[in-house]
Amino acid sequence: MKRGRVLVVDDEEQIRRAVGRALTARDYVVETASNGEEAVTVAAGFDPDLVVLDLNMPVRDGMWACRQLRARSQVPILVLSVREDEADKVEALDLGADDYLTKPFGTDELMARVRALLRRASAADTSSPPRFEAEGVEIDLDAHRVVRDGEEVRLTRTEWSLLEELSRHPGKLLTHRWLLERVWGAGYADDVDVLRVFVSQLRRKIERDPRRPRIIATDPGIGYRWLVRPVEVPVA
Amino acid sequence: MAVKSPPHALLPEDPGGRLHAPSALRRLTAKGQARRIGGYSVAILGTILMTAALLPFRDQITPLSKGFGFLVVVVAAAAIGGLGPGIAASIFGFLTFNYFFLPPYDRFVIERAEYVAVLFVFLGLSLLISVLLARAADRAEAAEARESELRMLQHLSSDLVVAVPGPSAYQSMVSRLLSAFDFNAGALFVLDPATRDLLERATVGVEPGTLSPRWDPASDVRPPERLPLSVGGRNLGLLVLTGPRPPLAPAESRVIRAFSDQFALVLERDRLLRTATDAEIYRQSDQVRRALLAAVSHDLRTPLAAIKASVTDLLGKDAAHRPEQTREALESINEETERLASLVANLLDMSRIEGGMLKPRVQAVELQEVLTTATDRLKRQRPQLQVRVRAPEAVVRADPVFLDRVVTNLLDNAAQAAVDQGSAQVEVETGRDGDRVTIRVIDHGRGVPQSVREQLFYPFYQLKERHPRLGTGLGLALAKGFLGVMDGEIWIEETPGGGATFAISLPADGGPGS
Repeated sequence: MKRGRVLVVDDEEQIRRAVGRALTARDYVVETASNGEEAVTVAAGFDPDLVVLDLNMPVRDGMWACRQLRARSQVPILVLSVREDEADKVEALDLGADDYLTKPFGTDELMARVRALLRRASAADTSSPPRFEAEGVEIDLDAHRVVRDGEEVRLTRTEWSLLEELSRHPGKLLTHRWLLERVWGAGYADDVDVLRVFVSQLRRKIERDPRRPRIIATDPGIGYRWLVRPVEVPVA
Repeated sequence: MAVKSPPHALLPEDPGGRLHAPSALRRLTAKGQARRIGGYSVAILGTILMTAALLPFRDQITPLSKGFGFLVVVVAAAAIGGLGPGIAASIFGFLTFNYFFLPPYDRFVIERAEYVAVLFVFLGLSLLISVLLARAADRAEAAEARESELRMLQHLSSDLVVAVPGPSAYQSMVSRLLSAFDFNAGALFVLDPATRDLLERATVGVEPGTLSPRWDPASDVRPPERLPLSVGGRNLGLLVLTGPRPPLAPAESRVIRAFSDQFALVLERDRLLRTATDAEIYRQSDQVRRALLAAVSHDLRTPLAAIKASVTDLLGKDAAHRPEQTREALESINEETERLASLVANLLDMSRIEGGMLKPRVQAVELQEVLTTATDRLKRQRPQLQVRVRAPEAVVRADPVFLDRVVTNLLDNAAQAAVDQGSAQVEVETGRDGDRVTIRVIDHGRGVPQSVREQLFYPFYQLKERHPRLGTGLGLALAKGFLGVMDGEIWIEETPGGGATFAISLPADGGPGS
């Protein structure tokens, strides 16, 4: 039983071959493309479960491909970036990419990301708002309650909005802009400092040790990630 | 710097020991006016008093004697108030003398021809005296003024020759100027030869950016004092001074302009100094490039050689490898590849730093988060090491990725130094110092001698005694470079009891919206 279909897009042949080989050896079905246009064409026919996309292709082709692929479907996109290009990574994530990997990367890192993205995609259809239980804290978004070590924790309205946005996509890297626009509004997209202050407040309320966050992780310079998976709701 | 109080009472000193120019120079002008008013008063009152005194005796005294009386008034008026009062006294005296003291009395008509002569001799003498006295008084006043102007100029310029060029020296220069002339705020703008733009180089009394080098004639705000700084016809910059004080008196204006000419010369001197230094830096960086090439080719070739050897070994058809040998070879290839990747990344960063192409994304960063991440990573790599962190909550303005690199680097160095010396402890302490936050990474290994503390930050410099194991030698140079673009600093201290403390400081964050 094959684990999934992955489209690998990179202008460098060695990378396509190496990544393809790694994925095939782990039971994935792989197709490749060497530029943005080809990627869109192949994706249309191949219908991948995941796209691995190199941002470094000439003349911002990677960014174009990201936008195009996202416009056509909700397929998870993992972008490959070069270390110094922080701005590019953030831009791609804002355009709809789901996560990033920095070159040079090890196959273990690659596979961890691939598996996480595929898992999220398949778990995406939950009908009821999720509950989380971890690190001594219970979060029930439906009932609007947070309980830590038996005591109820009061959150302000903004803190609730932030909590909801963060927990909506467990495991996914949410950029500063993404969170700011959804919690505060389009005009606040650049107020990174405000976001930092509120995440800090939230952590102090729900984390056991705010200095070693286990629920909300920081991706420095880029955004935040919700680490806890929702409690499985038994289907009646 | 204390300025010696002049013996001359002209320039009063305030308790702080500063010379107060506005009072002095402005006072002279005021003094002049006061004296003039005094002179006129003497002219009028003196004549009246003299008339009153002589009136009862006008029959007994000869006209000439009475004339002398009025001459005294003229002399007094001219001596005190100058030409104007002198002439006023002359004319007033002339009329009064004629009316009250030349027969027929109480009339302007004159009886005898010799009386006319007396009258006009009186007038002539008194005018002559006025002119002479006035000229003498004016000269004395001018000399006084010049002296205090020169003294003020000397006070302002005394620092121009000793100052080390740079923004802090300019800052103190502008401060001095402001306090000497009672302005509230000022800014120095220097012309950038490349862009022909006026750049703000020093600001005192307001936030940088408040004062503009351009004045909008349409605005109704009082225009600030603007002093162009130019040498040999070339415009070098502009001084802008504002404050709720009256417009400059001519004496003050002269001093300020003389000073700004000197300031312009200082700017020119600094510019030339910088050009000379840049040339020297270029020459030195050439040497650094050579050293870099030598060191880099070694550090690149070693891992490559190991990789090539292992790979070709595995590919060799003439050998039979056991599974564990194959595994070992592959692990070695992986390690060496890591080393290469790390070296390449460091070299790229180093060359970006030197090329000024680093793009920091400075934001508010929670220090505890950065320190915890870095120390946890270190503890995973070296489980035997004890790492103690004492860091109250603090937020700094920095690029989070760069800061992580710097802290990781310092921790790695400290860990290595500690292990080499058999000590298994490293400490991290943070502290707040005004508007900056300091982070100290403390080890108890072999310290760093004072003499090499500066060179340690040069690329590829390695203290072999402290790190017998060769690294890339770029770590500290990179740390310094990263901190440099984030308004951060790094320096070395001696750990009490032995060892090295690497300290860095960064601006503290003022809160959202700062």
